[in-house]
Amino acid sequence: MAVKTAIKVSNLAHTVNANTGDLTILNGINMDIKEGESVAIVGASGSGKSTLLGLLAGLDVNTSGEITLYDHAFSRLDEEERALIRGQYVGFIFQSFHLLPSLQAIENVMLPAELIGDKQARKTAESLLEQVGLSHRLTHYPNQLSGGEQQRVAIARAFASRPKILFADEPTGNLDEGNGKIIIEQLFELNASQGTTLVMVTHDNELAKKCDRHLVMSAGQLAEQT
Amino acid sequence: MIGFSLRLMLRDIRSGDIVTLLIALIISVGTVTSIGLFIDRLQLSFEQQSANLLAADRLISSDDEIAKDWQVKANELSLKQAQRTSFRTMIFAGDALQLSNVSAVTDNYPLKGAYLIDDTLFGTGQPFRQPPQQGQIWMSSRLASLLNINIGDQVEVGEATLTVSQYLVRDPGASSSSFAISPRAVINMADLASTQVIIPGSRVRYALLLAGQRDDLGAYKTWVTPQLDNGQRWRTPVQKGERIGDTIAKAESFLLLAGTLAVVMSGIAMALASGRFVKRHLMQVAVLKTLGATPRVLIKVFLTQFSLLFVLGAAIGLAVGWGVQGIISSLLSGLMSTALPEPSVSRLWLGIATGFISIVAFCLPLMMRLIKTSPMSVLQPSVKIEHNTVLIYSIGFIGMYGLMCLYTNGFLLPSIMTLTIVAIGFLVTLLGWAVFKLGRSLTSGATSGWQIGFAALYRRLLPNLFQLLVFTLIIMLGLILLGVKSSLLADWQKQLPAEAPNHYLFNVQADQIDHINTATEQLDILKSDWYPMVRGRVILENGVSIQTLYPEDKGEPELYSRELNLTWSDSLGQGSKLVSGDFNAEGLSIEQRVAQEATLSLGDQLTINIGGNVISLPITSIRSVDWGSMQPNFYLILPKSALQDYPANFVSSLFISDAKAQSFYKTMSQFPTVSILNVGDLLKQIQTIIGQLSEAIQLVLLCILAAGALVLLASVSATLEERLEEGALLRVLGARKALVQQALFVEFGALGLFSGLIATIGAEASLYGLQVFVFKSQASWHPLLWALGPVIGICIISAIGLFASRTVVKVPPMRLLRDF
Repeated sequence: MAVKTAIKVSNLAHTVNANTGDLTILNGINMDIKEGESVAIVGASGSGKSTLLGLLAGLDVNTSGEITLYDHAFSRLDEEERALIRGQYVGFIFQSFHLLPSLQAIENVMLPAELIGDKQARKTAESLLEQVGLSHRLTHYPNQLSGGEQQRVAIARAFASRPKILFADEPTGNLDEGNGKIIIEQLFELNASQGTTLVMVTHDNELAKKCDRHLVMSAGQLAEQT
Repeated sequence: MIGFSLRLMLRDIRSGDIVTLLIALIISVGTVTSIGLFIDRLQLSFEQQSANLLAADRLISSDDEIAKDWQVKANELSLKQAQRTSFRTMIFAGDALQLSNVSAVTDNYPLKGAYLIDDTLFGTGQPFRQPPQQGQIWMSSRLASLLNINIGDQVEVGEATLTVSQYLVRDPGASSSSFAISPRAVINMADLASTQVIIPGSRVRYALLLAGQRDDLGAYKTWVTPQLDNGQRWRTPVQKGERIGDTIAKAESFLLLAGTLAVVMSGIAMALASGRFVKRHLMQVAVLKTLGATPRVLIKVFLTQFSLLFVLGAAIGLAVGWGVQGIISSLLSGLMSTALPEPSVSRLWLGIATGFISIVAFCLPLMMRLIKTSPMSVLQPSVKIEHNTVLIYSIGFIGMYGLMCLYTNGFLLPSIMTLTIVAIGFLVTLLGWAVFKLGRSLTSGATSGWQIGFAALYRRLLPNLFQLLVFTLIIMLGLILLGVKSSLLADWQKQLPAEAPNHYLFNVQADQIDHINTATEQLDILKSDWYPMVRGRVILENGVSIQTLYPEDKGEPELYSRELNLTWSDSLGQGSKLVSGDFNAEGLSIEQRVAQEATLSLGDQLTINIGGNVISLPITSIRSVDWGSMQPNFYLILPKSALQDYPANFVSSLFISDAKAQSFYKTMSQFPTVSILNVGDLLKQIQTIIGQLSEAIQLVLLCILAAGALVLLASVSATLEERLEEGALLRVLGARKALVQQALFVEFGALGLFSGLIATIGAEASLYGLQVFVFKSQASWHPLLWALGPVIGICIISAIGLFASRTVVKVPPMRLLRDF
């Protein structure tokens, strides 16, 4: 059976308004990401990696070209519909964790499952936190956790809605080497066990090497590294 | 989704953001409710006290008998009713006779208040709530002395023979029968027919007195008003004695102003709290969006949360407001002569409306702003949110304006306040920007508290300008209230000196003046000058007849509507001031308000008919008259040459203490033709009310200032995080505690000084507007405010700022930095 295409990008370009006039951030990007693949996007700071990640996840609207996520073309969807697609298909891990400070660890993890009306949200969250080794930290607030622990909560949260695609933006960028390694291990373990497609932006070559494919971003253009 | 929203909200409560918003809402609803209820209770109380002067809650006076269906309607509305018929007639006692003012009243008269009667001649009286029984008559001590009779003696009123059973000290409705200056007597309505004094053509005044619930009285008024003809008037207690009406109206304006300022403060508190809420939720919303929350879901989440917030805030706010007004009232109860009436539950809608408008005006626009947060900002925090700040603040502003209009039931006060706030906004932005920039350029570097403080002011320019605006507004509101309170109190105290005249002598003949002067000197009684009085009526204005100018009396000014008392005088007299023209010129001197009503100015010619002779004179001066001085005052003063040939009688006013009253009345019984008008009771009532009002407005002022201090604290807390972070950084870099404290003091002190100064300018300008347009009094300068404003600004803002920021120097910097 042929493997499904999770993300398809054709002729993608993105321009923003800057003080000095229009600035082209992405230009002529084409790519296919198959279901279950892990893809690392690497590149220098300011090369447009995070912008691309945001567009792939439907967080912003590209100026031209088309992004299709499981046959849903973003250009034909409004903000409401894009959010529904995210809730259905997408999980996120951020460099600066972005846990909600007013929620306990378990509540943060429950959030995406609750948003899609999952009655088992608490059970799922407990199980995921156990998998990332934080079953003893369920009721702690983000400011009571170390950076590594916060990112592990974020990983658990990313998997809580059982996403088909996981987007990770520099997941180890704010962590020391030891914590970074733990995070990577847990991320790839969960990714493998859940059969998720992983798209990750990173500076870390070691981390990139763990992925099936490497894409290099340079001056708004994307090239496959073999 | 509701369950999810509530769970999210409950979790949010722990973080304190929702709590801040809830507290702001509770303060808004609570302040408006407590002041609203308190004002309502005061108004009810004044109305009840004034009702004692009217002997009823409402009264219809009429030249004709009260129609039967009016009484039926009053019954239908469950109103209590009584009737009074007043007329002038001769009372005979043996050979003696005296023209008297007699009231015949029904058994349940008075509906409000009580008679004061005594069985001793010129006694001080005991309260009694029923009128004389059939066959009896009560008469004033003066009338009894004029008739030379005592209790138990019989007198004839028309065809009826009645027995004197008490001396009448005070008739609760006396003032409502237009200060009849003949000696007074009261009889039972059951005796009226047997007197046979009322015949067709008699001058009789009928009154229907009503008492009951406000709503029922309102319904009755609506029903009866269209049926009233020219000789019939609907009267309320507050109209009684213009002076009480005026005093209460001013106090109500003050309390209304206080309430309006409370609304503004609540608005500021809500704006601050919701601003903080948005700031803290921007990232949360962006994260929720990345997790799949659609705008529709977010709208539902926030609408559920704000609805619950409204219900909670309104319920707690109402309870707090109810409690606070109870405390204010109980604090005041020791000072009030009568217990305050219970507050009416129907007034609570004001608090509920405040809560609702606050949520709609302040929270919903911000919710829309939050929902527009781009999910991209989780990856790129610099992503701008698309929103229209002007629109958001405009909605808040319009909401606040609407609330003020609702609160004051008018546009004048809210418009003055809104204009002032806008003007202050411009001033603060312009001057603040200039001063902060200048301060920064004069103190560049970062080695002293001054330099760090000014650097902080300039760096956080926008938040600081906003904070400056909040400080300025709160201080200004406090100063305005203080200014109005001081002027009102001073005005009232001036109005009623302890020895304000409380009696008038009328109908004094020229040859009696010396005798009366001797008598008052012997009794050591203070007396004003004697003013001659000649009756006359204005018939032409600039040669045109009054009937032509005002056909069918429509819109006819008071000056032309009746016969006037005219006088001549060499001097302006106490309590009068020359506004324009020359008082000593050979022409008319007219009182300012009367001239305005009749649109007359200097040079206009009036023609006056005096006893059949006609004289024409130009207006040569305009006077302002302080009617509160209780001195004899006149609408028109003519040159002596114009009046001296007419027979005049004289009028004077006197202050007679209770101790001297009896001897004075006895002395005056030698002059039976002289009429004495006693306004002492009315004055005492006014003095009591003024005393209570003064206490009440001071308490309200304190409450508002306390609420203001809370808002200031909230405002400082709103920017606390940044300050804490900066302070912690400074301390990590080795700054001593003293340096951090000095920097904070410079920052807050400068904000305080500056806001105090601008607030004073704003307060002075607002006070001018309020005095001229709202309180209709003389505008005055308030030097005290200019000293107080900046000092209060520095002291309070620094104290609150340093108190709120005390963690910066107390907590280890590591802990502070970890929290960010």
